[in-house]
Amino acid sequence: MSGFFERIAGKLKSYREPGYYTKLDHKWTMVIDLDKCNGCEACVVSCYAENNLPVVGKEECEKSRAFSWLRIERYVEGEYPDVKVKFIPVMCQHCMKAPCETGCPVYATYHNQDGLNVQVYNRCVGTFTCATYCTYDVRRFNWFTYKWPKPLEAQLNPDVSVREMGVMEKCTFCIQRIRAAKDKAKDEGKDVQDGDIKPACSQSCPTGAIYFGDLQDPNSVVAKLAKSPRRYRLLEELNADPSVIYLKRVMGDGNSSHE
Amino acid sequence: MKRRDFLKFIGIGGVGAGAGFVLGKVSKPPGAKLIPYLIPPEDIVPGVATWYASACTQCGAGCGTLVRVMEGRAKKIEGNPAHPVNRGGLCAMGQSSVQALYNPDRITKPLKRKGPRGSGDYTEITWDEALKTLAENLTELKSKGNSDKLHLLTSPLSGTLDKLVREFVSAFGSTNYSHYGLFQRKNLAFANLSAMGTASVPHYDIENTKYLLSFGADFSSTWVSPVNYSNGYGKMRQGAGERGKLVQVEPRLSLTGANADEWVPAKPGTEALLALAIANTIVEKGLAKDGGAWRGVLSRYKAKDVASICDVSVERIEAIAVEFAHTRPSLAIAGDSVSSYENGIAGAIAVNILNQVAGNIGVTVIPNGDDLGGGRRVDFSKKISTLIAAANADKVKALIVYGANPVFTTPKAAKLEDALSKVPFIASFSSFMDETTAQADLILPAHTSLEDWGDDFPDPGVGAPVASIIQPAVGPVFETKSLGDIFIELAKAVGGNAAGKITAPNFAEYLKSSWKELYSRNREMAAGTLGFEDFWNKTLQNGGWWGPPRKRTATVSARASEHLTGGPARFEGEEGQYPFYLIPYAQTAYMDGRGANLPWLQELPDPMTSVVWGTWVEINPKTAEKLGLKEGDMVNVESPFGKISAPVYLYPGIRPDTVAVPIGQGHSHYGRYAKGRGANPIEILPYNEDPRSGEAALNSTRVRITRGGSGERMVKMEGSTKELGRGIVQTVSTSEFKRMKKEGV
Repeated sequence: MSGFFERIAGKLKSYREPGYYTKLDHKWTMVIDLDKCNGCEACVVSCYAENNLPVVGKEECEKSRAFSWLRIERYVEGEYPDVKVKFIPVMCQHCMKAPCETGCPVYATYHNQDGLNVQVYNRCVGTFTCATYCTYDVRRFNWFTYKWPKPLEAQLNPDVSVREMGVMEKCTFCIQRIRAAKDKAKDEGKDVQDGDIKPACSQSCPTGAIYFGDLQDPNSVVAKLAKSPRRYRLLEELNADPSVIYLKRVMGDGNSSHE
Repeated sequence: MKRRDFLKFIGIGGVGAGAGFVLGKVSKPPGAKLIPYLIPPEDIVPGVATWYASACTQCGAGCGTLVRVMEGRAKKIEGNPAHPVNRGGLCAMGQSSVQALYNPDRITKPLKRKGPRGSGDYTEITWDEALKTLAENLTELKSKGNSDKLHLLTSPLSGTLDKLVREFVSAFGSTNYSHYGLFQRKNLAFANLSAMGTASVPHYDIENTKYLLSFGADFSSTWVSPVNYSNGYGKMRQGAGERGKLVQVEPRLSLTGANADEWVPAKPGTEALLALAIANTIVEKGLAKDGGAWRGVLSRYKAKDVASICDVSVERIEAIAVEFAHTRPSLAIAGDSVSSYENGIAGAIAVNILNQVAGNIGVTVIPNGDDLGGGRRVDFSKKISTLIAAANADKVKALIVYGANPVFTTPKAAKLEDALSKVPFIASFSSFMDETTAQADLILPAHTSLEDWGDDFPDPGVGAPVASIIQPAVGPVFETKSLGDIFIELAKAVGGNAAGKITAPNFAEYLKSSWKELYSRNREMAAGTLGFEDFWNKTLQNGGWWGPPRKRTATVSARASEHLTGGPARFEGEEGQYPFYLIPYAQTAYMDGRGANLPWLQELPDPMTSVVWGTWVEINPKTAEKLGLKEGDMVNVESPFGKISAPVYLYPGIRPDTVAVPIGQGHSHYGRYAKGRGANPIEILPYNEDPRSGEAALNSTRVRITRGGSGERMVKMEGSTKELGRGIVQTVSTSEFKRMKKEGV
């Protein structure tokens, strides 16, 4: 019996333990294998569908106001006929030392206990600071309140709030799916298992290039992939400590048949 | 509308949508009750999603889907992880089918033409009236002994729906039911029929391939079964075994080419010769698994003779040949760089021979067998030119169109529109006002696939028998009808043979009895089930039925070499006047133009150029410099058959003597998102239809480029195409990767 009380007391005092405020419940991590990614953009549409991203039209696209939380960047090297093309999906990197979080005057963007960089739409006052600070250009601003013509709005996902003019938004790692999986696991009295959560992009990826899971779980797929010698992170030298790990593309050298 | 009706409508709209399908039986929407949530429908719990397993019909690949439905509304479409075609993945187009369902520009009610044809002046009529009008027209045809002057033109339907339409047409007394689509790959089917005995694209086992030689098959984005191939591609690159290599032969670097380890930009129209030269080199060097029979035929295609025609060096041809033969297993795929020319059949056969010589058939090329008997039938005698000729000769008295949009997808040179103007009665079952439907006198809008029943027997298969079920995930959004039901009701209204033959009360019942028949024929299906009802319930739950892989092989028939042409493909337009080859290609989002009405797809940046909401012309930067063109300049692309204008995109991944234009924009109808945007390159193509297969060659004209023309400016999403030393996409070399794997790090 005394053990029980000690445990309770221990829990109550856990905030006194060193590292309490930096310790995470989970560390959601995405691993993207660039050797598998073929740049087909299925993930982009999947993201639009899941997260109620508006379509802004040609004129707004021209002003770089397209809403893609997830984009495929394409780089071209060389000249004809020695052209090399590379693709990389870029979304919010959920940096552990996120530059955007330091700038927000109203704490609309902060880091939660799951290691996610989250955006509280109701707090956001639209100062645009986070987007200016962001290293990866992944934050999107609602310049207007976008409406779908009827009945297209019937598609909107009720699990994700629809944003209004003046609010900043970005990739959430499909936090609604994380929440749903955690709720389900809690109801079943278990922890979230590896593979329970698949963000929309990962779910739809035809080549299976996008992996998602908890880096703190040593047995998770992402924890294993994160040890790959091909691992790197985007603009790592800037020390933002991103939670998206890329696996380097393997590119032909020694083309036996190439002069 | 009376108040009472209004209330009823609210009740039905809010709740009934999608909820009304009790397993196996279409029941009345429960929304008929006015206080719906007091006794809520079985599968609606507010806030909790219901998932329906179904199949995607956006293209012909037949991916299995899971449709997420909340409160009777479709929210998201995901790939069915258990489905052997797509294994959980789903492409951009497939995901967008919810926007087709909820498209604001859908045809919401049956329409009857009021103004002149093409004016878009229609009056709304009731379904009873619409069916009556159509039936009257058909009965009149029949009474005058003109039954055979009824023509049906649909997209390539498969399975039970195809069976029903066939039954209807033949019972009515017509033989003119044809499938039409821009990317029907009839050349491939014909070549495979003459080479391997099956008129379809075989299953390509990309997953287990170690050296993939693709002749312009853009299997990452639009070619045949992109999600299936992409899945294989991912496993080929980073699967359990050694990493496979991809070599792409094509004049314009496609999305798939962009992922290749090597790009071989052979001269357009000569790729078939290149394939044969590679095969010949394999035979000559004694590397062939099965060379003897082919030595004679292939000896005409020596690498040293072909090299200069193809613009590929002898050394390179030999190196590819050696690597292709040595790396086991290898695989050559006949994509658009061989099959979309005027001699496309020869090209596809050349690739078959290459696979045969290298010993790939039965290993990575698994010929299809229509195990379940529901596959898509390719009828080579049914051509769009036959329809045009018949219409011009007054032999088409009534035309029914569904799913196909020939007015958009046939070149102006085919003069289809003139022919259609001679058809006295055109009915369309399309739910969208596309260019062909705009010519219709009567429109009976059918459901989209998310509202309808159906099935699909994917072709090409996946080396295993697959039958997918399509079930309504939501109730009808508008006053549309199930396509199958339209035919069944029509059969009843027309009477006679048709009514006698088609007795099912509705298409859902027809489908079920068709599956019952399939079930009774197939012992594998029966295994592990407690009878048909049990099997049917499981099928609805799983999204279909699929069996274990079948090993099949074939031998490329020596007689297939009859179809080889010996020279490069012909192009219209004299080289002096029209210096550039034109490559019109299927773009990831729009395909043959069908995706252009969906806002997600319009705003999806093109993977290679990042252009949104428009058409562009890809020109090599060096060529552009010579012509004095900058990016974004408007140019006229002029062939001997016409002219379109679009802005220039400078693209280093294209031969300097070639220009490319994506297909899909340039709609004159098709809703607010598509209409009046960009240009349609099909308009300026010649009409080069292969008399054997009925496929029209897309890559068959030269063009000239002149500054000028009017059109919308180009908007692209990218900033720089260069990494500027930032190391954004980092790479490891192949040898470094091999070392990593060896050391097990």
